[in-house]
Amino acid sequence: MTTQIACRDLLELITGYLDGALPADVHAAIEEHVAGCDGCTAVLEEFRITIAMTGTLTEEQITPAQRDTMLGAFRDWAG
Amino acid sequence: MELVERLTPSMRRVARMFVSTDAVADEVVQEAWVGVLRGIDAFERRSSLRTWIFRILVNTAKTRGQREARSIPFATLAGDDLDEPTWDPTAFDTDGSWSSLPFDWRGLPEDRLTGKETLAVIGRAIEDLPPMQAEVIRMRDVLGWSSEEVRNALALTDTNQRVLLHRARAKVRAAVEAHLRSVSA
Repeated sequence: MTTQIACRDLLELITGYLDGALPADVHAAIEEHVAGCDGCTAVLEEFRITIAMTGTLTEEQITPAQRDTMLGAFRDWAG
Repeated sequence: MELVERLTPSMRRVARMFVSTDAVADEVVQEAWVGVLRGIDAFERRSSLRTWIFRILVNTAKTRGQREARSIPFATLAGDDLDEPTWDPTAFDTDGSWSSLPFDWRGLPEDRLTGKETLAVIGRAIEDLPPMQAEVIRMRDVLGWSSEEVRNALALTDTNQRVLLHRARAKVRAAVEAHLRSVSA
């Protein structure tokens, strides 16, 4: 008896799957499901693309503008 | 000094989750660095240095928050939507399979897909997340920390770290999709 996963449930497991954090049977079931499912293939791939794009952001792009009063203070202090 | 520059923006955001103002958050970060310098001899390489620094920061921030009588429920930081599905339930039949295939944006032209506009959408989507979701996705996907480092740094369980990250990624993906849908229409 192999594990079966519905599309709806698979979507909640994508991050665990990408981290390699799922039990082996669930991991295998996801691979088998994705191999035969266009919708889940697309979404899994879109997660990968989104993660890769997120990885190109810089610290400045994710930091609300407040900056540098404290870093300035630190520079003075640390020399 | 380089380490201070590199970690300070994240440290300020994390401290700000637990205390009332940016100014107090700055004080917490300074206090945490003092604690780091004092305790550096006791640092054991069981965790990464940045993880250890964040543990000191989070403890300092929580103590300060308690002193301010500002006790924030975990749900406020983490978001109150953690138990809900990340995908619109109406997209599925009763057996949980797609009722119609999702919008597939993978084939859009590269420049549209990964252009500046899309990156700006991602940046805004991250800012709009509940604070702990935002910080987890920043650490994991922007700064490239491992799941274990993030879990230790922010004092999260393994499960919480993953749930927060997944929810954050799902919202960012959805924001990218909404953006691409609007520019492809």
